[in-house]
Amino acid sequence: MNEATALPQVGERLPPLEIGPFDALALARYAEVSGDDNPLHLDDALALSVGFTAPPVHGMKLLAAFEALLKSWRSDLAIASLGGTFVQPVLRGEKATLTGRVLRASEADGVFVRLYAHGPGRAPAIIADATLRPGRPGSEGP
Amino acid sequence: MSSEGVAVDFGPPMEVMIDAGLAENFARETGVALEGDAAPIAYPAVWLAQPRLRDRIAQICAEADALPVHESQRFAYAAPLRQGVCYRLAVTARREVEPSRLVLDATLTDPEGAAVGRVETVLRLVSRADLPKKGDA
Repeated sequence: MNEATALPQVGERLPPLEIGPFDALALARYAEVSGDDNPLHLDDALALSVGFTAPPVHGMKLLAAFEALLKSWRSDLAIASLGGTFVQPVLRGEKATLTGRVLRASEADGVFVRLYAHGPGRAPAIIADATLRPGRPGSEGP
Repeated sequence: MSSEGVAVDFGPPMEVMIDAGLAENFARETGVALEGDAAPIAYPAVWLAQPRLRDRIAQICAEADALPVHESQRFAYAAPLRQGVCYRLAVTARREVEPSRLVLDATLTDPEGAAVGRVETVLRLVSRADLPKKGDA
């Protein structure tokens, strides 16, 4: 590990990042770029037919945005892992707020961060986590 | 079917590469700032949407008369992802019941065979019969 990199304190909260709202064009662009053109995200009628008031934003689009949250917090740490569970959808036209908190930090195991994405609902949209290690992205992590 | 699930064939490993333009577009659409020849952490999602894998998933869903709902996703890396490198992507999968799921486990290795990363995708297979209909409470 890089001895020059100070580890964050356990309990430290990441500065929140607000993303969205995403319109139909944004969802269409993500679908084109990612290849995930599941019509549920793009077709109002289909979304309505399964009980949504609007198409849900791709969960991957939201999960991937945690990279921006983590980099804006500590660009000197490389992200070694990122994973999450999609709990409830964020719908087209809704904003989401990404937050995080350091749960563990050690030279041996790196920095473990609990992450949440919250839409307008009470429950989180995504419960996620990431592990970071000292070293700029590309030197030790991706 | 055991609780561990039954293996599902997803074919032989395939060669994949990070396209610079696509990496840039993916980063833009997910709010990520790229540096140098790096790639977004979640970029392998692009590979998992390739026709061969998508078609197999669609086939499994059709057999189950179900819609796939993305339940969870994980990316873990042992080495940096680099644009322009030809990687080998091997996908194994298992089908679980109670609840009904399809779990894809993809491993990524570099041209020398060294481990680069692992990507796990969990799809909940929701029976079409269980979907709420328009007008339901």
